[in-house]
This record gives sequence, structure tokens and C-alpha cells, in this order.
Amino acid sequence: MSLEYKITYHAENQYENPVKEARWQFLIIPHEEEGQKVTATHFENSLDFPYEESTNAYGFRTLRILAKSEFERIEFKASFTVLKTAVNPFDFDLPLDPPEDLKRYQTLDFKVEHEPFLRKTPLTTLLEEHAKFFEYRGDKTVFENLVDLNQWVYEKIFYTPGVTHVNTTLDEIVENRHGVCQDFAHLFAAVARQFGIPCRYVSGYLHQGNGYFGDSQMHAWTEAYLLDVGWVGFDPTNNILASENHIKVAHGKDYSDCAPLKGILYSRGGNTTSHSVQVLGQQQQ
Amino acid sequence: MLARVANNLFWMGRYIERSEHIARYMHVNYFSSLDAPHEISRSRPFVLNSMLRMAGQPPGQDEEELTEEKVLFKLALDPSNPFSIISNVRYTRENANSARDLISTELYESINKFYHFVLKYPADHYIKKGLYDFSVNIIEMSSILRGRIRSTLLHDEVYAIILLGVNLERANQLIRMIDAKYQDAKEARASYGDTFSKSFEWTTLLKCMESYDMMRRHYKKTPTSLTTLEFLILNPNCPRSLMNCLNQIYMHIRVLDNSFRYNKNSTAFLVGRVRSEYQYKYIEEIEGNIQQFIDGMLRNLADIGTKMENEFFHY
Amino acid sequence: MASQENTIFSSYQRDPSLFDELYDDKGEVKRIYKTLFNLYGAHSIEDYMRLNEKAKSSFFNQGITFQVYGDKDTQEKIFPFDLFPRIIDPEEWEVIEKGAIQRSRALNLFLWDIYHEKKILKQGIVPLELISSSENYLHQMMDVDPPGGIYNHISGTDIIKHKDGKYYVLEDNIRCPSGVSYVISNRTALKRALFGVFNHYEAHTVTNYAENLLDLLETVKPKGVDSPNTVVITPGMYNSAFYEHSYLAKTMGVELVEGRDLYVENDFVYMRTIKGPEKVDIIYRRIDDQFMDPLEFRADSALGVPGLFTAYKKGNVTLANAPGTGVADDKAVYTYMPEIIKYYLDETPILNNVHTYHCSRPEELAYVMDHIPELVVKPVDEAGGYGISIGNKLTKEEIETVKKQIKSNPRKYVAQPIMSLSVHPTYIDETNSFEQRHVDLRTFTILGKEREFVLKGGLTRVALRRGNLVVNSSQGGGSKDTWVLKQ
Repeated sequence: MSLEYKITYHAENQYENPVKEARWQFLIIPHEEEGQKVTATHFENSLDFPYEESTNAYGFRTLRILAKSEFERIEFKASFTVLKTAVNPFDFDLPLDPPEDLKRYQTLDFKVEHEPFLRKTPLTTLLEEHAKFFEYRGDKTVFENLVDLNQWVYEKIFYTPGVTHVNTTLDEIVENRHGVCQDFAHLFAAVARQFGIPCRYVSGYLHQGNGYFGDSQMHAWTEAYLLDVGWVGFDPTNNILASENHIKVAHGKDYSDCAPLKGILYSRGGNTTSHSVQVLGQQQQ
Repeated sequence: MLARVANNLFWMGRYIERSEHIARYMHVNYFSSLDAPHEISRSRPFVLNSMLRMAGQPPGQDEEELTEEKVLFKLALDPSNPFSIISNVRYTRENANSARDLISTELYESINKFYHFVLKYPADHYIKKGLYDFSVNIIEMSSILRGRIRSTLLHDEVYAIILLGVNLERANQLIRMIDAKYQDAKEARASYGDTFSKSFEWTTLLKCMESYDMMRRHYKKTPTSLTTLEFLILNPNCPRSLMNCLNQIYMHIRVLDNSFRYNKNSTAFLVGRVRSEYQYKYIEEIEGNIQQFIDGMLRNLADIGTKMENEFFHY
Repeated sequence: MASQENTIFSSYQRDPSLFDELYDDKGEVKRIYKTLFNLYGAHSIEDYMRLNEKAKSSFFNQGITFQVYGDKDTQEKIFPFDLFPRIIDPEEWEVIEKGAIQRSRALNLFLWDIYHEKKILKQGIVPLELISSSENYLHQMMDVDPPGGIYNHISGTDIIKHKDGKYYVLEDNIRCPSGVSYVISNRTALKRALFGVFNHYEAHTVTNYAENLLDLLETVKPKGVDSPNTVVITPGMYNSAFYEHSYLAKTMGVELVEGRDLYVENDFVYMRTIKGPEKVDIIYRRIDDQFMDPLEFRADSALGVPGLFTAYKKGNVTLANAPGTGVADDKAVYTYMPEIIKYYLDETPILNNVHTYHCSRPEELAYVMDHIPELVVKPVDEAGGYGISIGNKLTKEEIETVKKQIKSNPRKYVAQPIMSLSVHPTYIDETNSFEQRHVDLRTFTILGKEREFVLKGGLTRVALRRGNLVVNSSQGGGSKDTWVLKQ
């Protein structure tokens, strides 16, 4: 069975002073991977600046715009059609011996191979005492522990838009217990990495037909590496495993590798930006 | 050549020329005023205001502002005044710095020496008794820079850009001096005959443009408003004349844009147009309405600058 | 010959505990210095002072200056220059040259490995933590193949001679090593002031650096480019090394650009010229990784070029040095150099490493804590001599402060025995005489595809304050012309 999604991304930037030159990079195109196929893309901006396609440093597709004439306001609109195959995220066998399972994550070879996604980045650094609140249980498999972690993060933070920003530290978030999907994903990644489980931050779209959290912005979740299985998606904001409702755009060590919009401006003064995302789904025969 | 660097070299040329003209104007006006025939020409506020006007500064409001020491300092060594000689020399060096890989070591060393000379010049000595020494040094050092530009740089685009700056600025300064002296001549009239046309200020103007000796050789007569203006505006053989500057500008812009395709939006087109107009002008047409000429020409020169910026330096 | 009584060496005092480059082990002036010693000895102090002043003003007029960042404003200063050259004989130089190449080659292989198969880490020869905790280990560079397989095109190796008469490497600088322009301007200044002495010696030229740099950079041009267009990128004229950037661009005959002069379109790099865009193929980079591309690294960087990294990753432009090279510049990696050389080249190091204690290892940390007065403590990630504590110069309170600093973040510090840098006669303005001052030597190595070049000469840096061991220009150091004699 497959599902077709129509995704619309909209952004509007308003600048206090005229901008003389600007360059934007969008990381919003759904990623082509198993079970996820992009069948149509469309992109436009209100000033008709030409755009080009490229990739970011990690190989994910980007859209870039170079603006060379003066302006104060610009609107961007992108739409994508994506075909997803429904999958059962639990479709694998659990290891039989949990302590042996964890040991395999602790070999030097494994650590070297997965080093980037075991790193503590500024956004995934947590004081030890905060990480300790989550207890890793030796009698459970790595996967089962991650499912517990998913729930722990879900219960730890109350989904509240507007209280955190890009520079809020994870420790502040744990103490204040409010945040958005990025914060959930960072907390999950920070704890998983502390136990030696490679974990990456994922940015994408969420189909909200089922009443999930994630408002009308881009969504964030995580992928953890399971030996013998591969990367498995966890969405701690909704306490579920990533499924056909999750449309991945890119992954990285944390948000800073996956920011949907980056702009380099030659202007002074402030600006306001608003984004919105709409995901419409419909079952295909 | 990088557009940004070309812009810097263009301005380097302009600043060199600008500092020299300020120095020369101060020098000539100050010293010729000391024994000027007309009382007004000798009066301090008159001379000091003329200097301020030429450097693009508003005239002094009261006696407090118009003291000799204050004005001399403000125009030459005041680092907080962006129009002062020291600021101009600093900008010259900054622009040269950013293009250091393109200009010759010899030119850079001379600019650097020039900068350190101005930087180290004792201000109290200068305002009391150093005006002559200081201004003569500025004038000489600027000539050295022009010599270095001519003789140590390849005569290619870099050279053309610098000389475009030099000549555009020279034309600009010339018009400003004509403006300042035209105002002065209206006030300080001669004592007999056509008092305006025979004003002592015309001689001063020629000296300010280092053109007095040349002019005397050419006309063999005492300068009048008509002969002075004819010489300084229309005579292409006078190296300081507007016509000469326009010819130079035209020649150098052709190095950057050698296409003869009809393009009315190009800088070369505009330069050619202005040049052609003045090539075949009578001085009487200008002398009849000097103010209109001054305003029009300043506008022309500004337009050429803007066009150059858009065509070559815009990045 | 003037009598020794009134000459510039008559008051030269030698501290027997220091290794003086001028003298052999019998206390005689070395053969290679003999002629120079006599020539200089023939000058009176007055002559010498005059020459010294001339040399100074020559630097000042040429605008060969650097900025010192102060609390209030930055000051323009000349790099103090000493008229008495340092001489290195051909046999000693051969060792230095081979040793410098060996280190650069080994570091290059190390960088390739840690950005690809990571064998040295998997085998535990270099600890993973050492690399993974470094912010210069760029995730973005994983599995990227730099053109020609070269990461550290330009290396500056800091070498000293210890009191045992042997050369030791103190640091391998492979981010953006600077100083090469001073090597050349020192030679020029010395020639101007004392041309006569060159008639008695045959020293190798140092003016061939730029041509070799350009040649070797062109060996690693991007694929499919016939005659590459090379540029030097600088942070701008207010950077302390701007003179060097402009010098290199000028002598290579290439454009000196700033970030704003370049832009990326369809993953190719172009510069904005008066005639429109011009493609750029090789960039000799004098801006740090973090400032190079605001789309991939620091977003607030106004020095970089948006999109540059992807253009590089796609093989459309060469960056020298390659991004991510700084990870091997770390002082903690330095301490593994003998292992790195052995691992990749199966050779023993030609140049010695100074023994290093890692504060990240508990047993070595304990040793360091107990022996601070005998050690130099350095932060592993600071350049320019900042943050270095020299044990025997510290008061009791200062020792306690250093201990506290180490304890708060042991990973950040390494310690080494206090090396006694050799000394060299150096003219001192304040006393108008020659005195012993500590010196080191920075050599410059360029790696190309299957070719390398070491500048025969180098920057001999002098610690001008008596007894001071830190020779950086930002810390009050001067420099000398350095002659490598021909066979």
C-alpha cells in the first residue's frame, strides 16, 4: 500500500531596510530513499529570482537563490509530491542477550565508524546529572531501551511553541520542561549518544492527519543506529516510531546541520520571517 | 582585475589628487593674500572662508570659528575631519593597501612614506609657522606619486583606472576652484576698469592650478576673467585644463572599454559626449553664465563617476 | 682588522649553561661563523647602530608591519629585525629538510586516513577521543577526496636546538602557517644594509618560494582544468598577516581576493572583475575553516564565500590547505608524531619530538601536577603562544592557578619538559650591544602531487626579552635572516 503526500512549504521574509544582495539556501526537498519517492517538485519566489539546485556538505539536496537587486520583502513557495510505502517499523527480531547486545556498541571499531553521530555537539550536550534521570536498563535490549527513552523524553518535555530558540541549551530545556520538536530530538540524541548509541537528528515533514504534535512547521525527530537492523526512526515528540507519516528531508548531528533556511544578507537592521507547512495525504491504490 | 580593487585604485587616484589640491589652494591663497592689492583679498575671514569653501566645508559662522589656526588645522591635520589632508592621505594609503599586490613596490613605498610624513608632522609647528613647509612637501610628494604611477606601473588597466581617478578628481577640483575664485572675484574687484574681469583673484586662480607661468607664456598679457577661463577650461595643451582632463579621461576609459559599438548607456559614451561639447566651445558662451557652467560641469563629472561605478565597480 | 677591544663583540657575554650557535664545543667560534664574526667585528658600535636604524626605517617605509591587538586599539609595528644572520651548514640542513618532508608526508597520510578508512583510530594507535573532541575534525570532510590527495599543502614546522645540540620539533603548523614573507624581507633588508658580507658566503636563495608555491598548487588543480586560475584569499587588510597575503599574491602574480569578491554559481567559484565573472580553480586560503563558508560553518562569517564548501566537495575548486586539516595541527596530535610516522611511512622520525605528558591520562596528569616548575604547560588548541605557562618562571600562587586550570579541564592541556632553546648573538637596542637571545626556526614545506619543496632558509625567530623563551611576533619576538649554506 502506498500513500501520496502533497507538501507545501511557504516562507515570507520582511526586512527593516532594503537588502542589496542576498543568498538563501533551502534544505526542504524530501530525501529520496527506500520507501520514499519524490514525484514532483515546484519552487517559486515572489521576485522571480533564479534558483539553482545543489547539495549541502552531507549530500542532501538544497535549493539556492541569489538575489542581486534591492528589495524589502520576499515570499518563497515550494511544493512537493511524495510517494511513501507504508512500513511496519517493528518488523525485525530483537537480540536475545541484552548485555551482549550493548557490548557490541562498545568496540573501538564501532565507535570509530560511527564517530560523527556519537559526538557531543553544542546543541546535544547535557550535564551528566540531567542525563542520569533516564535509567538505561541492562536487562533490556538496546532497542527496548530506546523505546523507553522515547517515552521518557515525551514525558519530560511539554510541547510548547515559542519558549525556546536556537540558542537555548538542552540543560535549560530539561530544567524548564518546555520545548518544541527540535528540543525533543536533541534531548533524545544527547542521551542515546551518552550510552554509546549512534543517533542522528532528522528534519522533515509530518503528516498530522492523526492528531500528532508538530504544528504546521517543519518537524524534527531522530534516527538511532541498531546493529543488524540499521537506522531506526524515533519521534519523541509524539512517542512513536517514525512511520509512513514521517517524510524525511535531511539528517545531521543536530539542528545546525539541518536548518531548513539559511540566509546570507547584505543589509542592516532586523527582519521578520514566517514559515508555514502543509501536508496533505491521500491513500493510493 | 577585481571590481572591488579597481574601485579602490580609482579612489586612490582621487585622494592623491584631492590632498594636493587642498594643499596648493591653501598655500597659494594664504601667501598671495598677504600682499594682495585689494583690501578684501587681504582680509583673514575672506581668505579662510575661501579655503573652507574650496574644501567642501561650510563657511565659518563666527570669529571664533574663523581663527587662522583653527581653519589651518581643520583643513590639514585634523584627523576627525574627513575632508582634511591627513584624512585624504590616510584614505590614499588604505586604498593602496588593499591593492598592494597590484601596484608596484616603489609606488607603495612612496605612498607609505607620504603617509608617515603627514602622520608625524607636528601640528603646533604647522599652525604657527609650518604652512609653507608642509604644503610644499604635500605638493612635492604628490608629484612623486604621480611620477611613480607613470613610471613604475605597466600602462594597462590598473594604470588606466588610477589615472581615471586622478583626472576626474582634477577636473572636479578645478571646477571647485573656479567656483571659489569666481565668488571671490565678485567680492574683491579690481580698482579700475572692468573690475570683475581684472580682479587679482584670477591670478590667484591660475597659481592655484600651477598654471600661471604657462598662461603668461601663452597670452603674454595680464590675466583677465576671459583669458584665465579660456586657458583653464578650453585649452587642451594646458595640462591642468578641464579639456585636458576630459581628453585623458576619454583616453583611459577606452582602455577599459574599447568597443566602438553604439551604446548610449556606457561610460565611454558619456565621456565622449561631454568632451565633444567642450572641444568646440567659445569661452564667451561660458563666461556669460559662469554659475551655470560650474553647476552643469559638476553634475557631468558626478554622472561620469556614477556610471563608472555601475559599469565597472558594481559587484 | 680592528682590535677586539672597541668592536661590537667586545662586551659579548656568554652564559656557559646555554647552547650558543656561534661557538663549537671547544668554545671556539664555529668555522661557518668565523668570517662573519670577523666582518661584523670590524664595525664600530656607531657604524652598527646606523645600519640598524636604516634597516628599521626600510621596513617601516616598505610598510612591512603587523598589527598588535591591544585593549584599546590596534597598533602598527615593525617586526623587529636583527642584522646578524643565523647560519646553518649544509649537513645540518639536510637533516632538517628531510625531517620536515617526512613529517608533512606523514601528516598528510594521517589526514587522509582519519577522513576515510580511519585505520589508525580503529587500531587504537592514536586515541579516538583525541580526534573526536577536536572541533577541527570536520564531519563535512568525511570521505571527501581533496584534489591530488593533498591536505596540508603548506606546513610550517617549528624547530629548536636544545642544549644537547640536537634539533627538536615543537609544533607542526598546518592550518595557515604565516611568516614566509618575513624570510624574504629579512634577506632583502640584510642585503641592503650589509651587501658586502654576501661576497664571502654562498647562501641559498629564498626568493623562489612563491614560484614553487604556485607550481606545486597547480599540480593539485581540479580535474578537467588545463590552465588553472589561482587566487589568494585574505580576511582583509586589517588582518595581522595582510602584508604577507599581498606579498604572496603579488609574487605569484595572482589576484588577492576577499570573500566578497567571490561567489558560487552551480557549484563553481567565480570572482567579480571589472569585466564580469571569472572562474577560480585554486584558492590559497588564509582564512580559517570556520569562516570559509557561512552556509556550512559559522553563519555570521562575513569573510567567507557562501557555497564554497560544496564547490570544493564536488571537486570544482582546490582549497589549500584543505578544510579540516587543523585537526592534525593540534598539540595533542603532535605528541603522537613518532607513532604516526612509523605507522604510515614505516620510518623512524628524522627530527626529534619533545616528550609530552598528556593531562588527559591520569598517571601523567599526576606527574604534571607534581612537577609544574620543571614543565611548560600548554593549552592544546591555542595558537600564537597564548596561554603558555613556563614552570620555572611562575610564582607559588601562579603554580596553584595553573594547577586549578588543568584540573578543571585536563584534556585541554599538555606539558613538556622545559626545553632550553639555543641562543644566538643578537643586537639589543637598549644596550647597544650584542647579547645572547633564544632562537627557534620555522621552516616552510610545500606538498604537491608527488612533489615537495622546502624553502632553503626559514624564519629564525628571536625572543628579544632576556631569558624569554616565547618567540612569537605577537609576544615581543624578532627575527633574523637565516642562511642555509651551499655544499
